[in-house]
Amino acid sequence: MKEELFVSGRMNPNIDPYLNIWHWQIPVYLFLGGLAAGILFFAALYTILGKEKEMPTTVKWATFLVPFILILGLLALFIDLKHKLYFWRLYTVIRLESPMGWGAWVLMIITPISMVWVASYLKELIPSWDWKFEFLNKFERWVITNRWYIAWVMIFYSVILGIYTGILLSAFNARPLWNTSLLGPLFLVSGLSTATAVIMWMTKNPAERKLMSRIDLLLIGIELFLIVHLFMGFLASSAVQINAAQLFLGGQFTVSFWVFVIILGLLFPAGLEVLEMRGVHIPIVIPVVLILFGGLMFRFIMVEAGQITRYLY
Amino acid sequence: MNTSSTEDRGKRYLNPYFGGFLLGLVLLATMFVTGRGLGASGAVKSTVVQAVNTISPAHVEKSKYYSQFISDDIHPMSNWLVFEILGVLAGAFVSGALAGRLKFKVEHSPKITSRTRLIMASLGGLMFGIGSQFGRGCTSGAALSGMASMATSGFIAMMAIFGSAYMFAYLFRKFWI
Repeated sequence: MKEELFVSGRMNPNIDPYLNIWHWQIPVYLFLGGLAAGILFFAALYTILGKEKEMPTTVKWATFLVPFILILGLLALFIDLKHKLYFWRLYTVIRLESPMGWGAWVLMIITPISMVWVASYLKELIPSWDWKFEFLNKFERWVITNRWYIAWVMIFYSVILGIYTGILLSAFNARPLWNTSLLGPLFLVSGLSTATAVIMWMTKNPAERKLMSRIDLLLIGIELFLIVHLFMGFLASSAVQINAAQLFLGGQFTVSFWVFVIILGLLFPAGLEVLEMRGVHIPIVIPVVLILFGGLMFRFIMVEAGQITRYLY
Repeated sequence: MNTSSTEDRGKRYLNPYFGGFLLGLVLLATMFVTGRGLGASGAVKSTVVQAVNTISPAHVEKSKYYSQFISDDIHPMSNWLVFEILGVLAGAFVSGALAGRLKFKVEHSPKITSRTRLIMASLGGLMFGIGSQFGRGCTSGAALSGMASMATSGFIAMMAIFGSAYMFAYLFRKFWI
């Protein structure tokens, strides 16, 4: 390993004056992690509520995407690592003060749970499926009888995963744009919203789609509320936070944030969903793609802009 | 649309004269809010410049035409016309949804095929795009916005666009009716 010696905190390439260490991998992971968390959250929620029959896509079919989404997200994180072969060291300790430790462990728990969840519904998707080994059949029976309990574990960890995608940034105290506790809930709500979009896209059941659409409208409302309060908090804070907010209020991220995230990613799809609820025929793919695009864009902008904001001038 | 009755058409489409009146109000609002007129071909131009610049920056640098739109400070896509066109697409989508016209189809006369219609419309669009660059603007940017600001060039552009359309329509009528 090549050693680097730092004499001063100033004028360090890629760290000062601007952080330049996180590229496309991080926002892609934050998006995929939030989406996976959202899908698992709704699957668990409607299992706990005993609505598997009314909400088949939410509880069963959408979750089939989750293991793939998580693997792709983890792959992005792995590509981002500088010393790839040392990733396993995250699993040699439990450090409550380490955001990466939290993420690594939450993913370590929720990824196998999502795989087991999907496996327990595999026979419903492919009736001729055979597990070949008796112990696997036995395990499947155990999972099916205990699904309600697994759902409770899953809902807990899905919320942690959803919040964690925001905490990864907000735990970064040296960047004023990220250092706000609103990012956790904001990323959770945004992840839940992208999940409702995917479920709406996949379901063929009109009642399920309608319910998911209503939930999504509620989530979009909460997201807008949180974004307004995010800026309120920045503007009421010290000069560095005000400078951070200015990036979005006239600065270089103004157009991309307001046009792509707020208008095309939240308000416009919300309007289309309202029209659809009022009986206007809207191809569902349009609001869905816009919501997913808005969610991805939001994470790209937050990661990109956050690296530019700073305390030292 | 050839199967639908005139009455049905009336319900699905706005009266064209009223549509034109609304377009005028949009133009007025644009002038009031942004201090400049509408445009359409500018967005296509920005997209083309950006696409060429992504694929071959060396070519853009050499070309007299492309290079004037590239600078270190301003991204070619950072042009309000690009965002205006995004809004046009979104608005057209909502309008189509409200009128129940959201489906994939090629509208053409029964005497020609969809293929002819698509090829001829694309060729026409292509030629209009080139023409708009020679004329420094299209129907929206040069003619409509120009006339609204009482510019002589705007009136000339409008007369040239529609005058030549009347002149040549007869020769090309078999391609669309």
